[in-house]
Amino acid sequence: MNLVVSLAAAVLFGAGAYLLLKRDLVRVVVGVSLISQSAILTLLASALTRGQAPIYPLADAPVSDPVVQSLALTALVIGLAVTALLLVVVDRVSHAYYTITQDDVAATEAARDAELERAGADAEALTE
Amino acid sequence: MTTLALALLIPWASGVVLVAVDGRRPLVGWLAVGALTAQIGALAALAVRVFPGRGVHFVTGGWPADVGIVLRADSLGVAFALVSAVMLLAAVAQSALEGIQERTFPGLVVLLATGLNGLFLTGDIFNFYVFFEIAMTVAYVLTTYGGGRRELGAALVFAAVNLLGSSVFLLAIAGVYRVTATLAMESIALRMADVEPNAAILIAVGFFIAFGVKLGLFPFHFWLPTVYTGARPAVAAILSGALANIGAYGLIRFGAGLLPNELQLGATALVLIGGASILYGGVLAISRRDPAETLAYSSIGQVGYVLVALGVGGPVGLAAAVLYALVNSLNKTMLFLAVRMRGALISGVFLLGALSVAGMPPAVGFLGKLALVHTGIAARSPALVGLLVAGSALSFVYMFQMYQHEFWSRPRAGHASPWPLQLLPAILALLVLAGGLWPEPLLALSRGAAGVLSRGGTR
Amino acid sequence: MTIAVRAVARLLLAPSLVVAVATMVKGYAHVGDGFSAGVIVALAVSLQYVAFGRPRAEAALPCLRFAPLVAGTGLLLAIAVGFFPILGGRPIFTHWPPPGVHPMRIGTLEVLTAFVFDIGVFLLVVGALVVLVHQLADDGPAPP
Repeated sequence: MNLVVSLAAAVLFGAGAYLLLKRDLVRVVVGVSLISQSAILTLLASALTRGQAPIYPLADAPVSDPVVQSLALTALVIGLAVTALLLVVVDRVSHAYYTITQDDVAATEAARDAELERAGADAEALTE
Repeated sequence: MTTLALALLIPWASGVVLVAVDGRRPLVGWLAVGALTAQIGALAALAVRVFPGRGVHFVTGGWPADVGIVLRADSLGVAFALVSAVMLLAAVAQSALEGIQERTFPGLVVLLATGLNGLFLTGDIFNFYVFFEIAMTVAYVLTTYGGGRRELGAALVFAAVNLLGSSVFLLAIAGVYRVTATLAMESIALRMADVEPNAAILIAVGFFIAFGVKLGLFPFHFWLPTVYTGARPAVAAILSGALANIGAYGLIRFGAGLLPNELQLGATALVLIGGASILYGGVLAISRRDPAETLAYSSIGQVGYVLVALGVGGPVGLAAAVLYALVNSLNKTMLFLAVRMRGALISGVFLLGALSVAGMPPAVGFLGKLALVHTGIAARSPALVGLLVAGSALSFVYMFQMYQHEFWSRPRAGHASPWPLQLLPAILALLVLAGGLWPEPLLALSRGAAGVLSRGGTR
Repeated sequence: MTIAVRAVARLLLAPSLVVAVATMVKGYAHVGDGFSAGVIVALAVSLQYVAFGRPRAEAALPCLRFAPLVAGTGLLLAIAVGFFPILGGRPIFTHWPPPGVHPMRIGTLEVLTAFVFDIGVFLLVVGALVVLVHQLADDGPAPP
């Protein structure tokens, strides 16, 4: 049982990491969301014992630890809020840059760095 | 108990109300300042009770400690909470004087204060995670302010990287719950001693990655310059002055408080990483032209010192780590608030800031550096003292280079900013000067905070 | 959107409210809490947006304009329920009635602070998710 859950968490993490390296920003958001889901799955796995699921336990049988269910629910709510926020930021980026790929974001940063270098060089020339 | 609950309630309720109203009106900005002042009052009342040595400790709902959520105020938490609250107050007051341009800025900073208070005053690791996420979500929104391309790019990088850090933190919490079956920090500290070393090392590495990403330590620093230079100066002040405290506090509380054995095992690695941070940040800061970028790389270097002190450990090392983290937060807030302004007072502020970052008297940074050198001596390592001196020399070079470029070279001089705006960094500079000239309270505070951890556990 | 989606969207709105209230009422003893109830209602509202598009959906449901206010009220209600025990000198989030005491009943509904807290969370989640859907449904300027 633990092996299956660990493999599932590993697959989720790997898929999320793969998506995180894509150029399309929406895929990056999905990747971040998958990674947080993998962490939540590990959280659920941390209380797996041989026992029944603590939803509606029948009497006289060992039951798994239900505290972790509430932790996972809290983490899911937090993940929802942050994914929503990231999607809105991607929406704003698409308006500001008229694109939703990472290359253009990086290109704008590089342009600003070059401009800063030129401004610094001009100031040096003025003081000397 | 009531003061602790009030310290959480005041910013939470007022933050919710302030978010709903239009923050561009001056009244709302000053209401936020009032809410933060009231919260500082509650924290000060808590400090009066806690600093002499009596902690405040209660469990929500009246449940037993391992069932309910433990809320606990001790010297370490209250010291960090107070300093962060004062830094947030300075940033909001500065923005209120300048004129706030975003609807939700005042309310969100008050909610950030809620998140910070909650995580400094809690004794339950999952509650720490919840307040940590509250603070970080607000920080993601604050970084987008301005709405321009640079701010949005910075916000995206900040959010993605810190979300990864949060996921790793959640993995570490899952690990802790698996091996100790409890979430209360005191019980974890007791039970961690019996956990098998392999699992404990993995958990310690997980916490280190999470807080290292938050602080901007050397291998995880790449997001810091983009974000600190892309965001508005007031937001950069908030990020470096209040949010970085989460990383320092987390490393101290989770490292020295919960996992002291693993901290000792990894001491060499921690010192090496801290040293790499110091040198990397210092060398790169010298090469930068934009003052905000210099300050960003300087932040990377300064947090390396906290890690070195933590790596050395012991009461001297822990006290030095606490002191340096608090001093660094004050320096960075003051410098970021003053970074785009000009004027006679501001040049004084920058001079004092340069002295403080470089670690020279009469600024309070001297205290921090002195505590670190004591740590190096206590570790009986001339290499460590040499590293600290080299780092201080680098700080001296880049700070004074920045001061010279900004205030002495004629083309950059520009117009003086209005007097009320210059006043706030000047007040912070007065605090820096006061701390440097009258060191006893700060030293006693850091020793008391470190003493909390050495007294076996986290009470 | 096809006629089937539109019909189902219109039909699902009221039952989702019923299911949400049922989830909240039995929440303290069985599976269910304010968060899942709020998500159920928010999903039904989002379906309206998807099926009808933003202008028609907001014209058909004028109460959606108050979503931010609803969210704020819910959060303040939850905070009030959590922090009111400090008035009596007890730790925060202490429940009333305390364990072992029979709760007050309205019909078959038991009045507990946990239930009031769940109502607060429900309002917060509905308000927040409706604001989010409204924000993301906005049509921005077309890219060049």
